[in-house]
Amino acid sequence: MARIVKPLLLIAAALLLWEMAARSGLWNRLLFPSLVSIGAELGGFAFDADGLMQAWVSLYRALGGFVLAAAVGVALGMVMGRSPLVAGLLDPLFSGTYAVPKLALFPIFIFVFGIGSLSKVALIFLECLYPIVIMTYHGARDVNRVLLWSGQNMGASRAQILRRIVVPAAAPFIFAGFRVALPVAMIVVVITEMISSADGLGYMVIYALSSLRTDRMLAVVVVISLIGLALDRALVWLRNRLVYWEKLDAYYV
Amino acid sequence: MGLAKASLLVALLVAWQLAAAIWGLPDYILSPLQIAQEFFRALGSQELYVHAGTSLMRSLPGFLIGSGLGIAFGLAAGVSRGFDQTLSPAIFLTYPVPKIVMLPLFMLWFGIGDLSKILIIALACFYPAFINAYYGARATRSILVWSALNMGAGRGRIFRRIVVPSALPQIFAGLRVALALSFIVMFATEMINSRSGLGHLIQAAESSLRFDLMYVSLVTIAILGYAGDYALRALRGRVLRWQES
Repeated sequence: MARIVKPLLLIAAALLLWEMAARSGLWNRLLFPSLVSIGAELGGFAFDADGLMQAWVSLYRALGGFVLAAAVGVALGMVMGRSPLVAGLLDPLFSGTYAVPKLALFPIFIFVFGIGSLSKVALIFLECLYPIVIMTYHGARDVNRVLLWSGQNMGASRAQILRRIVVPAAAPFIFAGFRVALPVAMIVVVITEMISSADGLGYMVIYALSSLRTDRMLAVVVVISLIGLALDRALVWLRNRLVYWEKLDAYYV
Repeated sequence: MGLAKASLLVALLVAWQLAAAIWGLPDYILSPLQIAQEFFRALGSQELYVHAGTSLMRSLPGFLIGSGLGIAFGLAAGVSRGFDQTLSPAIFLTYPVPKIVMLPLFMLWFGIGDLSKILIIALACFYPAFINAYYGARATRSILVWSALNMGAGRGRIFRRIVVPSALPQIFAGLRVALALSFIVMFATEMINSRSGLGHLIQAAESSLRFDLMYVSLVTIAILGYAGDYALRALRGRVLRWQES
């Protein structure tokens, strides 16, 4: 019983506190819109074709950039992990620019790729590429030598070793990289839409704020949060199906 | 060795410069030499220092507050079961949520000045610091704790002398993520709403087509990000002298 109740305690207390602040009349309703009106906006959102359309726009930008980064990042990381020469060339480039906020490139991306989806997808691609490449590289590099030697000894070809030993051994690392990259994709899509866009959920947040509809704004925030959560859950589900031999820590599930 | 490491970077820069010299680049892409020239010219003026200083005065306090609280709560949740059960689910539930969406609300609550920016940066930094400190503390080897208990160490002593040191590598990993995040969020908040700072500078440069200024602020933020990361790694090397990275 305590195991189920305790986790909900803090969340329930926070919601209760919010509703009390909203109803106390101490603050303007703009600052603390009541949960009821947020819920009403949320319900309206779910049945509104335009709202769903905006969510779809944000989702395909985030996923588009993420999927591109996943494909390129895993391939690059694999090559880096298996070839010291390539790693020697690319690793300084990646670790040297790792801490640089790639978001600063956005204004230039707008000039190069236009203000539509392309500049946003390109930036998401770039931001997601780093964690995926670095994690895949580590996973592919640190494969247990004994396994590789055994494979060679038993006459496995290079392709077989890659497919049957290196990829499975690196898989948990690859998914750890994905898990870092996916929230980053959501962050970047929302930020870029808040900075410069005429569609998407980030734009809806800014639009609701400038029309002083904080309840609608918070409803959009809830939608963004739900999408972020759902994507994370889907990724964990996929990971546990594919990497079934290694379980994640209880809280990560 | 240093040159060999940077060979690809150097090759890219040379190719970029050559492309500019041979074919010419569009207005919005400056050649590396032009960027360097503009950057050093900007170093001579006051403006850049003011903007960079303003940005740092937002990102550093945010980073320190957020990651400090994150480490404290993460360690607490890592060692105390009651704390873990009440706090962790809420944290892990809200972890994949992009914290930047709270910015408009924070602007309403705390004004459009520095406070709302510092707090949103702190919020963003809290999560990686919390999660890494939490896992670091939980991964403490039980045999060490048992040995200490056996030798008569108290709870406080075990926490200080065993849990914290063994969680430190993981804590530093969290700090590294938080620091990078603090720069991203700082930049984003300044691009969305600000009248000063590097994010504002790049935004203003973009809308007035001052491509030179755009690249100057880009180079500045790159240097700041790199320097922060370097300082953190240096600190890690000093604190974790017993462990190889």
